[in-house]
Amino acid sequence: MSGVRIVFFAYLFVVLLGIVYVSALGLMGR
Amino acid sequence: MSVEEEQYGFLRANALTLAFGGLFVATLVGQAISGTADFNAQQVVNGLEPVSLLEYVTSSSFGVDVMENWQSEYLQFFLYIFATVWLVQRGSSESKELGQEGTETDEEQKIGRHADDDSPGWARTGGWRTAVFSRSLGMLMGALFLLTWAASSVAGWAAFNSEQLGERQDPVSWLGYLGEADFWNRSFQNWQSEMLAVGSMAVFSIYLRQRGSPESKLVGAGHHDTGQTG
Repeated sequence: MSGVRIVFFAYLFVVLLGIVYVSALGLMGR
Repeated sequence: MSVEEEQYGFLRANALTLAFGGLFVATLVGQAISGTADFNAQQVVNGLEPVSLLEYVTSSSFGVDVMENWQSEYLQFFLYIFATVWLVQRGSSESKELGQEGTETDEEQKIGRHADDDSPGWARTGGWRTAVFSRSLGMLMGALFLLTWAASSVAGWAAFNSEQLGERQDPVSWLGYLGEADFWNRSFQNWQSEMLAVGSMAVFSIYLRQRGSPESKLVGAGHHDTGQTG
């Protein structure tokens, strides 16, 4: 995988991970 | 890719995104540390035990504060990407030239039989693939806005209810929270700043320059020149 593609998917991964993480905190009522 | 570009290593070739990725992590850590201190100051006022950094970053209070800012950024880019298709600003580096409003012709956009050797496959094939690919940037920004806004509502709901319980008030349902002033205050206070920032970028780039920046017109470009980046 080219370097540019790694950076592209790294950004997408971090944003989606953040969404899942924060949603989970809310759903668990923490 | 030119000969010079091929000599760029991973770090130099991705310097812009890596720099902002690093700044994102550093400022998120800053938010976690200052947020813990702020949260604990409020805990002391309420006669409650202070929380650790780990407890704070795994709380919905931290989650909603992060996510309410993310959603407004993605809303900003989603709106800007679509608005700049149809709306122009004379003299702005952020705008297309006057008369170019709209989605432009297949030839101008190198679509279908107008595609060149470097064009992505989905620009060439036509049909639903080209239709989706032609809107993929805006669709991703729009989807991320909806997801981050939804996440901020869920975390905001949990944080709101823990405050309600602390004040011996009844918790609300998620739908109930969507009608609460807290949710809309968080949303609007972030949205207003994004709209101002976008408008400022579009309008200040008419008469002002930043030499070497692609966000600016050429230093010597005329004030009425539109859509010419440096």
